[in-house]
Amino acid sequence: MKYAIETFDLTKKFGDFLAVDTLNMKIENKSIFGFLGPNGAGKTTTIKMLTCLAQPTGGSANVAGYDINESPNEVRQKIGMVPQLVSLYGDLTVRENVELCADFYGMPRDLKEVRIEELMELVDIKYAQNKLVRQLSGGQKQKVSVVASLVHQPDILFLDEPTIGLDPTTKRVLWDLITDLNEKGHTIILCSHDMYEVELLCDNVGIINQGTLAAFDTPQGLKDTMIREEEDTKKAKLGTIIDKIEQENPIGQESSFKDLKGAVADLERENGKTKQMSIMVSNLNDKMVDEIQMLPVVFEVSKHHSGRVIMEMDEKCKTAVNDVIWAVMENNGNITSISTKDPSLEDVFVKVTAKEKEE
Amino acid sequence: METKKVMWMLKKDLIVLWRHKPRLMSLILFPIIMITLFGYGMGGTLDNIPIVVVDQSHGAVTDQTLNAIKNMSLYDVKGIISDPEKGREMVESGQVKAAIILPPNYDNLTSPQPQSVVMYVDSSDQMASQALIPTTQALFSKISGQLGLEKMQMNSSGSTASSQISQSASNQTGIQVNTSQVSSSGSGGIVASIQNLANTINFQVDKIYGDIKYIDFLVPAVIAMTVMMSCMMGMGESIAGERERGELARLFMTPTNVSTVVGGKIISKLIIETGRALILIVAAVILFGIVIKGSMWLTLLLLVLTALCFVGFGIMISARVSTQEDYVQMVMPFTMPMMFVSGVFYPLATMPWIFQKIAYLVPLTYANDALRAVMLKGANLGDVWVDVAVLIGFTLLFFAMGVRSFNRDV
Repeated sequence: MKYAIETFDLTKKFGDFLAVDTLNMKIENKSIFGFLGPNGAGKTTTIKMLTCLAQPTGGSANVAGYDINESPNEVRQKIGMVPQLVSLYGDLTVRENVELCADFYGMPRDLKEVRIEELMELVDIKYAQNKLVRQLSGGQKQKVSVVASLVHQPDILFLDEPTIGLDPTTKRVLWDLITDLNEKGHTIILCSHDMYEVELLCDNVGIINQGTLAAFDTPQGLKDTMIREEEDTKKAKLGTIIDKIEQENPIGQESSFKDLKGAVADLERENGKTKQMSIMVSNLNDKMVDEIQMLPVVFEVSKHHSGRVIMEMDEKCKTAVNDVIWAVMENNGNITSISTKDPSLEDVFVKVTAKEKEE
Repeated sequence: METKKVMWMLKKDLIVLWRHKPRLMSLILFPIIMITLFGYGMGGTLDNIPIVVVDQSHGAVTDQTLNAIKNMSLYDVKGIISDPEKGREMVESGQVKAAIILPPNYDNLTSPQPQSVVMYVDSSDQMASQALIPTTQALFSKISGQLGLEKMQMNSSGSTASSQISQSASNQTGIQVNTSQVSSSGSGGIVASIQNLANTINFQVDKIYGDIKYIDFLVPAVIAMTVMMSCMMGMGESIAGERERGELARLFMTPTNVSTVVGGKIISKLIIETGRALILIVAAVILFGIVIKGSMWLTLLLLVLTALCFVGFGIMISARVSTQEDYVQMVMPFTMPMMFVSGVFYPLATMPWIFQKIAYLVPLTYANDALRAVMLKGANLGDVWVDVAVLIGFTLLFFAMGVRSFNRDV
């Protein structure tokens, strides 16, 4: 089975409101898939349909090889779900909750016991197994929810914003767990608003917006696509600007180069496509700063007394960092530290969802 | 500033109310239903109690007595028959609340012995028997007085004649007694006349289920009502509450059918409610000395069936609601009126005909009827099979509708 999940024109309407609109996507088996979307985009509704917690009003989907409309119980047997809101019995203990789930999945007694022990140790919640769930912290409840969802050894695990409200340490424990599970062969569907989390964990990412799939690729693929799209737009705009400058200023004059740089910088800022770079030079002098300023890829430079130079530069130029380092070294500068900020998945998310909104 | 905050809280509550239509409907309908039922039910008078009259004599006195009975609004004469045993059977079977047995010598005014009028009364219906006994006693006391007066007049005139008696007291109840023939020995003297005057009719009451206290009458229905209330309110917590807290979602994530979840809820609720019913019965026996005349097992079976029926009702209502508050508001217009319509506290006979008809659409009426029959009259399953069949019918209907309309989406 190549795909863990395939949807075919999956649709959900609430009255006149179209929450999910003929969604078609394929999620590879044994991958970690990040499912992103702004609030109200149809993310949770899609997850509910795929986990048979809500009936589609149109279309269908195959989950773990079973049709969600025709074989919902077979689908449920093959999947686990960690919902956004913890759905456990508050007046039952941790162990009772997990045992209830195991029995509802029809697990044999001996296997159940072994599995519960194993999972409780894995997520480190065994120490609280006799505590009532309502007495646990948010992170502990989430761990119990994970155990309850994994107890029957599902092929696919759905996690709907599992780390929301968790402290950084608990988040990392959960991330490690997700990676471990994936390495053991589980397909993971991760719904999250935490772009760092998605970028860190996911093999593929889908962005849903207004009920339709707006983007689908690897995290790097999405970023590359965005860069390419923006380069095309920039080239078109830049051509217009160059034409204008050439008409107004004779070629060869210094001012025309500065004007061109300034115009490009304005354009990049307008598009939000500048990259910030910071270098620390132990013997910084004004000549070095001027050399950096003259580089075509550098739009703006600011010098600090501490020896730090912060510059805005063309994000797409792959030699930009090399050019800056070369300029400093040619002036015998000693670079002690260097840092850059690349475009993030968050940038892609904002762009994709904003583009959909404009359309 | 504080006023503004208070006004905002009010505004918020009104907006929420407006946006939850079931709550709004309940708010409007519930008080109307309650005041209507209280007004017509508890504020009304006891009328049209079904009775049967056994006429074994056939004569003018009988005719006038029957007319007097028919003219009283308290009675609804379901028949005039001639067999006293049949009259008693009709009371025992619940067709009528009382049977008035006029003796074979009722029209014989010459007899020195008083005529014995017997009334078999269904003492399991506390309110009906409390209304019937004194009124009927007063009626025959007046008839007896009229007949005695006529006898005295006949004795004093020493002749045989027809006379018509019409007195102010009889006007009040519409009684007019005509005697076509009264014989007199003519030599009986004053002593015999006074004796006759005093003993014209001997009215006897036969409470066929013995002396039943109000608490005896109340307990079976209160048990049924308690089971109803706890089942219906409990299902709100069990389904709507769990749905609201997301607990039901956990079950629906597993390969489990709606019927299994509903079935599990029913069984657990049934066991808890049977336990509650047992505690109620034991408490009633220990604290109030209640005696269950019928089978204890049949009583329990009826309570289980009642619980099952109202659990089904709860499932039907909670099938589509998403919050416990909505559920409570939706069942309120059913539970409270059901208590008053089904004759828990007072008989159906006191209510307007439309409410008496509605009572037959309410399962609690059948539960009350069957439990009273078993606990007070010692009825067996054969005697209450209609009630049992109707309760089973309601139960199946509620479950079918509940499972069919159950919203699995979470």
